Amino acid sequence: MDQTPAEYLTQFVVELCRFTRSNGLSGGLHRSLAALRAVKAVGTRDRESLRFALRAALCSSKAEWDLFDELFKAFEEQSQHTSKPGSGKQKTTVEGSSQRETPSPYLIGHDAGDTKPESDGKTAAGASVCERLATVDFSQIPQNDLLRLEELSLRLLRQMSLRLSRRLESGHRPGPIDLRRTIRRNLAHGGEPIVLAFRNKKPQKNRLLIFLDVSGSMNAYSGFLLKFAYALQKHFRHVDTFLFSTSLLEISEALRPRRLSAALEKLSQLAAGWSAGTKIGASLRELNRLHSRKLQAGSTIFMILSDGWDTGAPEVLAAELKAIHRRVRRVIWLNPLLGLADYEPVTRGMSAALPYTDVFAPAHNLVSLLALEKHL
Amino acid sequence: MDLKRDRDATSPGSSGRQPFKDVDALVQGFERLNYIADRALATAVFLAVQLRKPLLIEGHAGLGKTEVAKVLASLLETALIRLQCYEGLDVSSAVYEWNYQKQLLAIKIEEKSDLTVEEKQRHIFSKEFLLERPLLQSILAEAASPVLLIDEIDRADDAFEAFLLELLSDFQITVPEMCTIKARHIPYVILTSNRTRELSDALKRRCFYHWIDYPSLEKEIKIVSTRLPGMEADLRSDVVRFVHAVRQLDLGKPPGVAETLDSGQAVMSLGKHRLDEEIIEVTLGCLVKSMEDGQKIRDAGIGKLLGNTE
Repeated sequence: MDQTPAEYLTQFVVELCRFTRSNGLSGGLHRSLAALRAVKAVGTRDRESLRFALRAALCSSKAEWDLFDELFKAFEEQSQHTSKPGSGKQKTTVEGSSQRETPSPYLIGHDAGDTKPESDGKTAAGASVCERLATVDFSQIPQNDLLRLEELSLRLLRQMSLRLSRRLESGHRPGPIDLRRTIRRNLAHGGEPIVLAFRNKKPQKNRLLIFLDVSGSMNAYSGFLLKFAYALQKHFRHVDTFLFSTSLLEISEALRPRRLSAALEKLSQLAAGWSAGTKIGASLRELNRLHSRKLQAGSTIFMILSDGWDTGAPEVLAAELKAIHRRVRRVIWLNPLLGLADYEPVTRGMSAALPYTDVFAPAHNLVSLLALEKHL
Repeated sequence: MDLKRDRDATSPGSSGRQPFKDVDALVQGFERLNYIADRALATAVFLAVQLRKPLLIEGHAGLGKTEVAKVLASLLETALIRLQCYEGLDVSSAVYEWNYQKQLLAIKIEEKSDLTVEEKQRHIFSKEFLLERPLLQSILAEAASPVLLIDEIDRADDAFEAFLLELLSDFQITVPEMCTIKARHIPYVILTSNRTRELSDALKRRCFYHWIDYPSLEKEIKIVSTRLPGMEADLRSDVVRFVHAVRQLDLGKPPGVAETLDSGQAVMSLGKHRLDEEIIEVTLGCLVKSMEDGQKIRDAGIGKLLGNTE
């Protein structure tokens, strides 16, 4: 190979960029260009400088920052394996990333879940079906109605969020005078302030933090609740969404796409402890420790969607929820089991949590989800 | 009067003076000013200066994010212009504002003059009546590129972030009543964020990124020795080791370097030569800032934490 060092370096950087991109780092051509310029600026005296420069150029968050170091090492090792680094095709995934936990079945399609076929599933189409579907428990929905329920839920949830966002608008009442506009408007009157312009306060919008249980016991519900979270996220200004089972995973970014299918696609890429055990207390603690800034005092509504079956210690749950309760505006606990006629919140976790819960409501069907509107 | 014509003067070629030879020079420069920077941070700052791209620094509180900009400004011997972001920050307090009272007076004074309306308008919307806020100041800098510190950008809202995007890519500000002002000297921009919310991708894309983590033991001892030169070596290492042990605990707010320095200062002014349980107990307030965290440290056993550090 008659490559000059500069050409070799360029190739190295470009391939590293491609490699990191295919392994989860964001960015496109502009990032690669920035990386190239960065490497040129620091020069290539040693491996460390090169790594630091590339890291500064290619990363844009703590998560990426951590990922980068791993990827850089993997890439170097890989380059050493292939005798001529930069020539030939390289495999573009690290071993680690293929070990992702399998995504939950309900993210892949409609044919999933443990939904049992039900005898009264086939009834006349039309409004009555919608009405019935809206009140059917999510876990009892017959296979062939799933699709329709989804359409319905999206429509209703969209209506709800629309109403929510409209309610937050305030009128144009007189307030403090906006001098800038007033002067501009009154130039025609020789500067005499005849027409006044006012400054109104922007309506204070609440932040919403959704904390969704995806452990095994919630399997039948978490798919719908996820869509509920998506609908809320789309229309609230600040929503942070977390999944938890035994540990915590932030999915706010994954829910960002405009189409639901794209969001679910993105979600299924994320490794999460789908259908694993539940450690609510530990997950809450992680939230408190790592994301406490997202719980802004006074303006955050904390919404936890869980059945309260906790394998951890109830004291931890109580202590952590208490800490959250003290900070936020309102704690809403949605429990799908509350829809069952004979359910009593007596599980240890649930009874430990109840004192620190402002709203305790069911979330087993569409009607119950829509009823939440008044608490938001 | 379109200042766009000044474009030639702002092309990178004319200000092509490179302030730093290489990353090492920058590390040494920072150290001269009592800021201990590791190579990763120095590389990021070096790149930001060299390639004139903003640098976004994230990290926990009290680890010297803001300090980077201050030190950089004094190293470059240039002005530091600081914009502290907060919720509800708007263009009139970040960029510019008209001096309305003065404008109203001017209108009154000119009432009897025979100037045309256009002339009057031009007069009251001239530079004389413009109040410069930080972002406009950074664009208007006459002598040399200032360092523009946009502190805690995550606190400002999305709308402001979008405005900032425009500024950071073109370095020009349009005052509709007057003209478009283009930067003579493109400022060095440093943004800091505490990660209360994710910043938009578009903004992040335009920046170099650096994550400031808690320093290693050696580095922190070095930091303390530069910032508190009067401290005895034994005591210094005691304090830093204890803080490192505390950071291992599961605290709500682990102490940053600022807390280490506070605590060291406190112990020193109490006239102690070594750290013991009693002195830690009375100065615990320097280290942790909540009752729960203090309790956690006591539960873990101050003596034990101190012992672990040996």
